[in-house]
Amino acid sequence: MVSDTVSYTGRIIEVDALSAEAQLVERAQAQDETAFEQIMHLYADRLYNYILRMVGNSADAEDLLQEVFLRAYQGLPSFDGRASLSTWLYRIATNLCIDYQRRRARRVQTVPYLAWEDEDGEVGHWESPDTQTPDPMEAALNRELQQVVEHAIRSLSPKLRTVLLLYDVEDLSYEEIARVLNIPMGTVKSRLNHARGQIQKQVEAYLRGESK
Amino acid sequence: MKCTRYERWLWDELEGRLGTAQAQELRAHLQVCPRCQRQWEAARATHQALRALPRYRAPQQLALQVRARIQETAAPKPEFVWWKRVALAPALGILAAAAWWGWLALNPDSTYSTETATAAHSVENWVEIHEQLEVADWSPTPTPSYFITTGYTQ
Ligand SMILES: [Zn+2]
Repeated sequence: MVSDTVSYTGRIIEVDALSAEAQLVERAQAQDETAFEQIMHLYADRLYNYILRMVGNSADAEDLLQEVFLRAYQGLPSFDGRASLSTWLYRIATNLCIDYQRRRARRVQTVPYLAWEDEDGEVGHWESPDTQTPDPMEAALNRELQQVVEHAIRSLSPKLRTVLLLYDVEDLSYEEIARVLNIPMGTVKSRLNHARGQIQKQVEAYLRGESK
Repeated sequence: MKCTRYERWLWDELEGRLGTAQAQELRAHLQVCPRCQRQWEAARATHQALRALPRYRAPQQLALQVRARIQETAAPKPEFVWWKRVALAPALGILAAAAWWGWLALNPDSTYSTETATAAHSVENWVEIHEQLEVADWSPTPTPSYFITTGYTQ
C-alpha cells in the first residue's frame, strides 16, 4: 500500500517534470525570452562541466557553451520534442566539441602533448595545455589520484572520452548516450569498457608506483 | 585465460550489477590472485575518483553573452544597406556628372554617348565598392569562436 503510493507519487512528479520541460520549450519556441533563459539556467552547469572536460581549457569551454545555447536558440523552432531537451543539448555540445577538436588537431602542428588512438584506428593528439593563463580546472586538481584520472581522461580519444564523461561523470544512462550520439547501445557499452580500461591502466601504474 | 572473466566482472561489481553467486566467486578469486587483486584496487580507485571529480560552474555572465551573440547574428543588415544606397547613388551621380562636365570642357571633341556610359559605369562601381565596405563594417568581429561558428558542419 505504502510503496504503491510512493511510486504513484513518484510517477506524477516525473510526468510533471517532463510536462514542465515541454511547456518551457513551447514558451521558448514562442519567443518567450525568460523561458529560454530558464533553459540556460537549468543546463548551463551540466553542459559546462562536460564541455570543459571535453576540451580541457576554460576559455574555449566558455566559448563553446555560448555556442551550444546560440545553436539551441536557432534550432528551437525545429525542435519537435521527440528527443528530451537534455539529450538534444548534449548532442549539440558533443558535435561542437568534436568539431572543435578536429579543427584544432588539424591547425596545430606543435609537439604532441598527449597522443590518442581510437579502437577503430583514428589517431590524433592534444596540443600542450596553455600555461600562460591560470586555469580553474588545473588549479582545482589538488588530489593526486584525481590528477591521474583527469590526465587519463584527456588522453582518451574523443569518441571514448565522450562516452566515459557522459556515463561516469554526467550520469546519463546507456539509452540516453545512445540517443545523444546516435549509436547502438552495444557500442556505448564497448566504448565505455575501453575507456575505463585505459584509465584503470594508468591508475594501476600510479598505485604500483605509490606502493614501491 | 580464467582471469579475463574476472576482469570483466570488476566494474559490474563496482556498480552493483553482479549477482550474489558471481560476486562470491569473484571475491574468492581475488583472494588467491594478486594480479586480479591489483586490477580490482585500480578499478575501485578509478571508480571512486570518477565519481568524486570536481564539478565546475558555468560563468555568471553566460546569459548576457548568449543574448549578445543572438543579437549579433540577427543584426539588421538590409535596413542599413537600402537607405545608404538610396542616399549614396544620387550623390555619386552628381559627382560623376560634375567630373564628366569638367572632362568634357577640357576635351570638347569626345562623343556624348561614350561618356554617358563611362559615367554610369563609374557610379555603379562606386555603389558596389561602397556596399562591399558596408558589408565589411557590419560583419561580426572575428572571435576565437569565429571559425567554429562559420565552419561548423552537421
Ligand atoms: Zn586473476
